Amino acid sequence: MKLIHKLEPLWWILFGAGGFTACFFLPALLLGGLVLAPQGLLGDGLAYERAHALAASPIGKTFLAAVITLVLWHCAHHMRHLLLDLGGHALAPLAAFGSYGLAVLGTVATLAIVAAL
Amino acid sequence: MSAHPAAEKTRTSPARAPSGFPFGFSRYRNYVLFAATSVFMALGCIGLLEGLYALSKGPEAWNAWLAHMAQPFDLALSLLVLGFTLYFVFRFGWVGRKIGAGRIGPLPRPPLPLPVLGLAPLGGFVTLWLILLAILGGLL
Repeated sequence: MKLIHKLEPLWWILFGAGGFTACFFLPALLLGGLVLAPQGLLGDGLAYERAHALAASPIGKTFLAAVITLVLWHCAHHMRHLLLDLGGHALAPLAAFGSYGLAVLGTVATLAIVAAL
Repeated sequence: MSAHPAAEKTRTSPARAPSGFPFGFSRYRNYVLFAATSVFMALGCIGLLEGLYALSKGPEAWNAWLAHMAQPFDLALSLLVLGFTLYFVFRFGWVGRKIGAGRIGPLPRPPLPLPVLGLAPLGGFVTLWLILLAILGGLL
């Protein structure tokens, strides 16, 4: 836990950066990717060829990797503090290692998936 | 090393939740709801990752994923995730107006009322979303 506390500024930087990134981009990505495209409301905008060309371009890969990983780290820090608020300091190690562990897994998965595009 | 020699000997009581926390008052409920948005936003990221994974596997996998996401349950979950994300964004932007109202170094305080300062970042967010949606929709 000492290391977790020592790195507190890093968690807060990731939390803030992820929060702003979520505000700027996440609603449009969720609305477009998870709601409108599956319902066929984006026309050919996200047909396979175009979606792949957008996501697999260098800008697309960087954008997607940055947005998803930063938002995941933001969520991890917020969940850690939610667990602390609800469960008290007895949960501190579980909250910290569980939340940040999931964020590390998410980051690795994101980078692997984006690199495979 | 502490600021005062006697500080390390000072005993403090352990931290404890305030009376009525977490659901006793609307202020607490809003706070918990705001923190819970992180769970749904993480779910949204997992959904996007699923889509990108399908995209990396070829056209059949991509079309199958789109068809799967069009099912009523997945649509409802996506809308729930979107709703929590929007709640997060609007609350984040609305709290941010107080930062804008402060004086930062030599810069003068903005000559705008507090509600207008709240609308400015929200207007910026919505503009960016429309641009991004236009790109996703093939209009740009």
